[in-house]
Amino acid sequence: MKFKLIYPRWEKLEGQTTFYLPPHGPVVMAAEIPDDVEVEFTDENVEELVIDGNCDFVGISTMLTTQVKRGWQIADQYRALGKKVIMGGISTMLHAEEAMLHADSVFLGEVEGRLKQVFDDFKKNDLKKIYNFLNKPPDMNLIGPARRDILKKDLYYHKGFRMVDLFHASRGCIYDCYPCAVRYLGGRGFRPRPIDRVVEELSQMDNNRLFIVDNSLALDTQWEKDLFKAMIPLKKKWVSHTIEDKDEVLDLAAQAGAWYVYQAVFDTSDYIKNRIKQYHNYGIAVEGTILLGLDNQTEDDIKRLVDFLLEIELDLAEFTVLAPFPHTKAYSDLLKQGRIFDTDWNHYNAGKVVYHPKHMSADRLQELYQYAWDTFYKDEPQTMKMFNLINTVVSREVADGTYAPRRRDLANESFGKKVITVS
Amino acid sequence: MDINPEFNKYMDRYFDFLGYWESPSRCGLKTIKRKDGKRLAIATEIYRQNPGTAVTEWCAPLATQVLAEQKCNPADFIFIEHTPDMGSKLAFYEETFDLVNFHWDGDKFIDPQWKRLSPPEVDRLLEL
Repeated sequence: MKFKLIYPRWEKLEGQTTFYLPPHGPVVMAAEIPDDVEVEFTDENVEELVIDGNCDFVGISTMLTTQVKRGWQIADQYRALGKKVIMGGISTMLHAEEAMLHADSVFLGEVEGRLKQVFDDFKKNDLKKIYNFLNKPPDMNLIGPARRDILKKDLYYHKGFRMVDLFHASRGCIYDCYPCAVRYLGGRGFRPRPIDRVVEELSQMDNNRLFIVDNSLALDTQWEKDLFKAMIPLKKKWVSHTIEDKDEVLDLAAQAGAWYVYQAVFDTSDYIKNRIKQYHNYGIAVEGTILLGLDNQTEDDIKRLVDFLLEIELDLAEFTVLAPFPHTKAYSDLLKQGRIFDTDWNHYNAGKVVYHPKHMSADRLQELYQYAWDTFYKDEPQTMKMFNLINTVVSREVADGTYAPRRRDLANESFGKKVITVS
Repeated sequence: MDINPEFNKYMDRYFDFLGYWESPSRCGLKTIKRKDGKRLAIATEIYRQNPGTAVTEWCAPLATQVLAEQKCNPADFIFIEHTPDMGSKLAFYEETFDLVNFHWDGDKFIDPQWKRLSPPEVDRLLEL
């Protein structure tokens, strides 16, 4: 039996450096597919999807809201060919009712221990319209290594440089942040994976550079310290969301290979300034994530925030505008106030304004979003700042003997496409 | 962020409901029978103490469930959403009240429309 697993494409943000990372959801899902099923994976962001009858069953995995409409289109096309289609993933959960209009079956929740039933039902021609495991998290011991063998790894190189692989050490989050849907997704509460299982998976990964995609590692100090201690011998170099700013945690994180962290910068306070400085003191770089368009921001606030980012010497900055994703407090609040004017999910890419901001027009916020990108990267372009970060990690890898040289055979390719060079 | 105990003025008890995809969910609830005979319900979002669906997202089915419990006429039912002050420095966790108007389709509330109320306006609605 052949299962065609698809990760739909989405339109990248205009004017930003485009890169593609190997997706995480599909490889976690694939680890739970029964052994007797052949899996063929297509990441439509880096390769062409050929929709034909050469499969028995189709799975569509979506992460982003801006991906769902393309996912539904693919589902419709396969169903027109008489193929059964199941959809799952974060944004399928956020848009489950709409997904049900396009797929034969929708999977809600986390897959561990649950996919055998789905495939058995498919074989019996008894696929359920919905497999609902929301708020029923699996035993964390069941989460084994993801199946990265389904990825066509050569497609995730840029001019011979390999992109990071995605990895997770925990699920859930204790917080309920304004723009985040983790509560609806069943993520309430922090669920760390057993550290020996984490180390088992990390030690099997052939990529030395990782992005640990956990919502936050800063939710259980002892687990965080134990995790970093266990990671030190592996010599991985990694990117993650926030880690705690306690000295003993940062020291262990640095020893464990912390390369840079994403840090939300929401104001111009000394708290933020000191936190960035503290990361830097331990050799950990910082990519600021800056959400624009919140109700407490005026035009002057946004301009002041951009100046502040330059002053605190952030290594990278990523600007987004608030996107009121379904099942977030942001969505609830803006819906109540009748401020959402655009419900085309393709526009929910965090780069397009889809609601009326409180202190300015939507057009003005759109301009300020561009202003923020342009101003922050005026003196040193984004590619140069990224190059600096890569140089840092390369020198560390050379020092500890983990450096993998650039692939010469892929030097003229970027994410599976020939690079056009101008002489 | 813990719930500000001051909001107890608008909440007498917890109310359990099944939210999206039958997710076990919980809110705060105060119901009173007003002097004019109308039933007024205040549903409070309790954030981290709510394991499932938010009040705003589920307000129409939630109001329908509260109405059934209160055994009153839909035309005599007033439903208010309350989000308590979470003591956060972020403005979107301040206390808010919204009067929710629905359309009654014969067996359930649908089409919620929200109207922001000030605390004194809520207190006046409680006293009528």
